[in-house]
Amino acid sequence: MKLPRLLPASPVEESLSGRVFVYLGFGIGCLGVAIYGQDYVVPAVGLAIAALGHIVSYRGRRQKRSISGQALVASMVFASMAYFLADSVGAIFGGVMPQANFAILLVAVTSFDLKTRRNCYSSLWISLAILYLAAVYAWDYLFAVLAGVWFVCLAGFWAASHLRRLGAAFRLPAGAAAVALLAATGIGVLAFFFIPQPQAFPSGPLVVSLPTFSQFKGEIENPALPLVQIQGSTNTVDLRYRGRLGDAPVMYVRTGAPAYWRGLVFDTYSDGVWTSSRRGGTPFPPYVPARLLGPGPDHNLGTFVQTFRLLRTLPGVVNAAYPIESLYVPVGQLARDPYGTFHTPGVLRAGQTYSVVSYIPDLSAARLEQDPMPQFESGDVAWDLEYTALSTDARLLAQHAVEGHTATEYDIVTALTSWLQDNYRYSLEIGHVRPGVDAVDQFLFVDKKGYCEQFATAAALMLRSLGIPARLATGYSTGTYDPVLNQSVVRERDAHAWVEVFFPNDGWVPLDPSPGYAGLPATKFPDRWAASGIARLIPHLTIGAAPAILASAGFLGVIPPAIAIALVVVLAYAWLRRRLVRRRLRAADPPGSSDLLDLYDRLQKRSGRRRAPPETPLEYWGLMQDAPDEAVLEEVTQAVNEGAYAGRWPERARVRELAERLS
Amino acid sequence: MASATPQPALQPQRAAELLGRLESNVHRVIVGKNEVVRLAAAGLVAGGHVLLQDIPGTGKTMLARVLATSVGGTFRRIQCTPDLLPSDITGSSVFNQKDLTFEFVPGPIFANVVLADEVNRATPRTQSALLEAMGEGQVTIEGVTRQLEKPFFVVATQNPTEFHGTYPLPESQLDRFILAAEMGPPTDEEAMEVLARREHGDPIGDLRAVLTLQEISDLQEAALRVVAAPAIRAYIVALLNAIRARPEVQLPASMRAGLYLQRAAQAWALFAGRDFVLPDDIKRLVEPVLAHRLGMRGRTKAREMLGEVLAQVPLPPLRQH
Repeated sequence: MKLPRLLPASPVEESLSGRVFVYLGFGIGCLGVAIYGQDYVVPAVGLAIAALGHIVSYRGRRQKRSISGQALVASMVFASMAYFLADSVGAIFGGVMPQANFAILLVAVTSFDLKTRRNCYSSLWISLAILYLAAVYAWDYLFAVLAGVWFVCLAGFWAASHLRRLGAAFRLPAGAAAVALLAATGIGVLAFFFIPQPQAFPSGPLVVSLPTFSQFKGEIENPALPLVQIQGSTNTVDLRYRGRLGDAPVMYVRTGAPAYWRGLVFDTYSDGVWTSSRRGGTPFPPYVPARLLGPGPDHNLGTFVQTFRLLRTLPGVVNAAYPIESLYVPVGQLARDPYGTFHTPGVLRAGQTYSVVSYIPDLSAARLEQDPMPQFESGDVAWDLEYTALSTDARLLAQHAVEGHTATEYDIVTALTSWLQDNYRYSLEIGHVRPGVDAVDQFLFVDKKGYCEQFATAAALMLRSLGIPARLATGYSTGTYDPVLNQSVVRERDAHAWVEVFFPNDGWVPLDPSPGYAGLPATKFPDRWAASGIARLIPHLTIGAAPAILASAGFLGVIPPAIAIALVVVLAYAWLRRRLVRRRLRAADPPGSSDLLDLYDRLQKRSGRRRAPPETPLEYWGLMQDAPDEAVLEEVTQAVNEGAYAGRWPERARVRELAERLS
Repeated sequence: MASATPQPALQPQRAAELLGRLESNVHRVIVGKNEVVRLAAAGLVAGGHVLLQDIPGTGKTMLARVLATSVGGTFRRIQCTPDLLPSDITGSSVFNQKDLTFEFVPGPIFANVVLADEVNRATPRTQSALLEAMGEGQVTIEGVTRQLEKPFFVVATQNPTEFHGTYPLPESQLDRFILAAEMGPPTDEEAMEVLARREHGDPIGDLRAVLTLQEISDLQEAALRVVAAPAIRAYIVALLNAIRARPEVQLPASMRAGLYLQRAAQAWALFAGRDFVLPDDIKRLVEPVLAHRLGMRGRTKAREMLGEVLAQVPLPPLRQH
């Protein structure tokens, strides 16, 4: 079939505003990559290329595609692919998000070929995908704003193309919109004043993880120190202080295996304060090869590399998975403290990166069960057995907790850990420690709830009272690990404290007594089955979360379902009414009209090219001279013209007769 | 008595036949130029006035004369010059010494077909007198209003490339012409045919009227009865809006332009023997009806812009509900 050289014009392809929306949507994706990935070159280049591409494709919107142009686009796609491989596999350009950059370049390249509505939509969807790739790093209000603006772009494109194509007069009813807006604002204000604010997170069998959106500024609650001191060069952990942590990312860790990122270790507890008793450090060069650190554990499953990228200034402590095989930190020199933690001379600045290679020690339950109880001469490692701060009650409680599980050290440790996890509740909302009361006693006997510091401190001291050396380790838990990107996003609230227990054959073994954490946080390689990370990308889709949130609002919880039901009813009513009105109007139409127009639609579909909206029926027929049903099309075209423009619709029988002549 | 009974409207087939007769008569002298001839005839049937623009020697005046001769009725020609006065067009009162009274001597405007040749060479004052007569169908001379003859049809010509000693028509006056057409250069065959026909004289001398004035009035009446469906009206409004929305348009199409477009399309439908307007008629007539009355910014050509608008504006949906 011979096609006309010029493509049929349609308002969608002609719509300049539609294209502006497509480009803006792409800009949102690029902005996301620039903000969250702090990667500016490729987004900027992509935006410039896409702007050029939009101009070129808009100017050539009526021309058919040329082979040379297609070859050029294809070669640019291959060039983007080469860049992607070089950046991701070869890590040549140091791009933070090679996938997002690849998608940006692809959108930019294909914008030279945006001819149809479908192309424009693809561009918009990929822009959304780019935004999501960027958002793997952070979810916060800004992301919601970006997603909202993207949605506005989508709606704008839809209005600029489809509504115009349908010839719909799209006008916002100003009065109704203003009333709706004012009413919504008023309801919001009333709700703010009259809905009782929950004083604590809802308790009960459902543990709900609600994101806190406040960005931690370091000076929140009296006396103004966070859970674990992440700012400043402190070497104490004070259980009497309270603080809150935010959601802001602290660092990105590119790693082959999710692990705990250990920082400072404390071994002396007194009056609610942990300190380190052993001072001094061995100097090391910035690059510490494996030979300087001596042999690794006897039984390890291999090594894995972690690359840390800091997003904020942190104390000069190298957080990493332990034990370390080798590391490189771009500072003047390193120092290793007696606990094996490396320190830098000054603080670590935002944007700094360092790499660490760590062993994965074999810490399986079967292996730890083989370890004997540690035996000590008097005076030997006394600092790890000091538990004088623990009250007599607490010591008895420890005895009681491990009763019947004292065969091996591993049995005692797991028994105490499970007992703490089962009988105490994890909560960030705990009261202040009263004067004259020890923080551990307050936790064990009064509050019966606490967070990682309380659990770890109690576990460490109770284990010591049972004759097992234990100390407090601080740092960050794994964070949000994405096995697709091989990357962890570590946030403020991932700051964590846990226990290290000494096993004679295996050295210091990490142990996490906090509820909700694996008791034995041994580093493992992640599951590699397909899409294993997808479920983790939607963290708040916990079953039971929604009812729990509703329950916390009391009887006011009926409001959201009521609104939803009302919305459904209104929509259903509007839909039904519209249908009724249309049906009544159609019934008033001449009987042959809808039959004839249906037949006309069928003919267009059969001929392979539908009538473009600006084409008149005669023009369409003139272009369709080679169509198989040309003779019928001619008569139907005449009938359509007579009907639509003279009001003389044919009889039904005549339409039926025409339809029967179709081959 | 016969005039009191309502005349049966001209059937579309009969109108097409009459118009075909008119066209073939014109083509006895004018070679080719089918579209321009039909446009000029449509202007007559639509009851409007036509502006022919082109360089000299392309047959503008000849077309106007032939058209005038073919429809019968009176024909007067006004050759516009800078010293032409309004009274030279409308006529004036002359003192009759025998009767000692003033006697009105009608000017050339009192005719059925008036050819205003090189209208842009007349002074603005004279132009406005002529154009007022075109608009109102009457002239007022010395306080006495006199009706012009019916049908009244003005064909004006102008040479758009000449600038010395001309007074270009302002947009408000251009707006009074229902349509403007350009003759365009002849093809080689047409040029040879023109030479052949003139070898032994001027064929216009043999030309006779083929339509009576009554038939012209009937045709005009028939054009008024051609149906312009609501969809056609919606299409015209959409086109006018689209033109107004174009950034390069300084002076958009007026409501009168829309009225003229509908009227011209009604006349155009008669040529095809139709009693209803098709969107194709509108599309064909948009450029001749609208192009000359749009004020454009910069170097954009109105006809190019109109072509783009036609390619973009969707037809109203065929299905009403």
